[in-house]
Amino acid sequence: MKPMLAAAALVVLASPAFAAGEFAQGSEATSWGLLGEEKARFEAVVVDVLCELTGDCPADCGGGGRYLGLRRAADGALVLANKNLQAVFTGAVEELLPYCGKTVEVDGLLVGEPEMTPAKVYQVQRLREPGGEWHKADHWTKAWDESHPELAGVEGRWYRKDPRVMGEIEADGYLGLGLATDAEFIDYLFEE
Amino acid sequence: MRSRIKAIALACTISGVVAGAPAIASGDGERVRISGEVIDTWCYLSGVMGSPDAVVGTSHHTCALWCAAGGIPVGVLAEDGTVYMVLKWEGTDDVTRADTLMTVQSDHVTADGVHHVRDGINYLIVEQVVANDGIINLSHEDFDVVPPFAIPKPKPDPNQ
Repeated sequence: MKPMLAAAALVVLASPAFAAGEFAQGSEATSWGLLGEEKARFEAVVVDVLCELTGDCPADCGGGGRYLGLRRAADGALVLANKNLQAVFTGAVEELLPYCGKTVEVDGLLVGEPEMTPAKVYQVQRLREPGGEWHKADHWTKAWDESHPELAGVEGRWYRKDPRVMGEIEADGYLGLGLATDAEFIDYLFEE
Repeated sequence: MRSRIKAIALACTISGVVAGAPAIASGDGERVRISGEVIDTWCYLSGVMGSPDAVVGTSHHTCALWCAAGGIPVGVLAEDGTVYMVLKWEGTDDVTRADTLMTVQSDHVTADGVHHVRDGINYLIVEQVVANDGIINLSHEDFDVVPPFAIPKPKPDPNQ
């Protein structure tokens, strides 16, 4: 069984040619070969999504605990910021939070196929205040390092030592089915 | 093994016709009962890690934990295929840093809450989880683990 090869092949087959979307003009976003990917550069106000929908609006957009969105200037659409520029596992809140309530210009990718999501979500790759200097949306791991100084000397990337992640894995295993199931599966996975 | 997953998926789809149906409106949102799996929305919607079937369930559980800890929006993949972005979970609006969503990653849940739609994205405020079936999508039987490095190779025992 080589399921990963099959899965990878599916992704390659499913990956469309890089689409030029409505907001692609001037974009310098890097393609990631994602489903339904479109370059998109636009001006928007950084908003707290829960606030936008319900009127429950803390002054600081939730201080980093809530998901953030981009209320696009051109059409007023609320675009969900899902991902930052860093390679894997890191969202966009850390990048956008300093601009809560402010107008920014963002450049990145709208992602998703209509069969799976009626509207695309956004990966912010770089941003700036209007007329300001661009900077990359890659601050998440630095912020994690700063909030976990006690782990600075521990080998491995953040996701191999994050206390919340490790707590879950230590309790329920990598598959989430318990440590006994995990042990059997690991034996199978790495059998020589 | 694959047939068992298909059977679960079929059962979920059938029950979702009822379970996903909206009921009473609540403010701008709509009161709903949703049944589905708690998922990592980035990997599911972007295809970055593989096909949609490979990035849910047990095969993707560790990655889902990583993404939730990384602040990527957590969603509920309902049995009709709709992805709901979770904005609140049983009173907790700290969805990126609190442990709440970490503890339910990959679980199949039935939840009462309020559904909002804005510009094509479905959002869910979970008021109460009325049932948690745990992890029932045994996708590792078909896909092993996704990504493959999610489980590190055990270090040799120096005593053997």
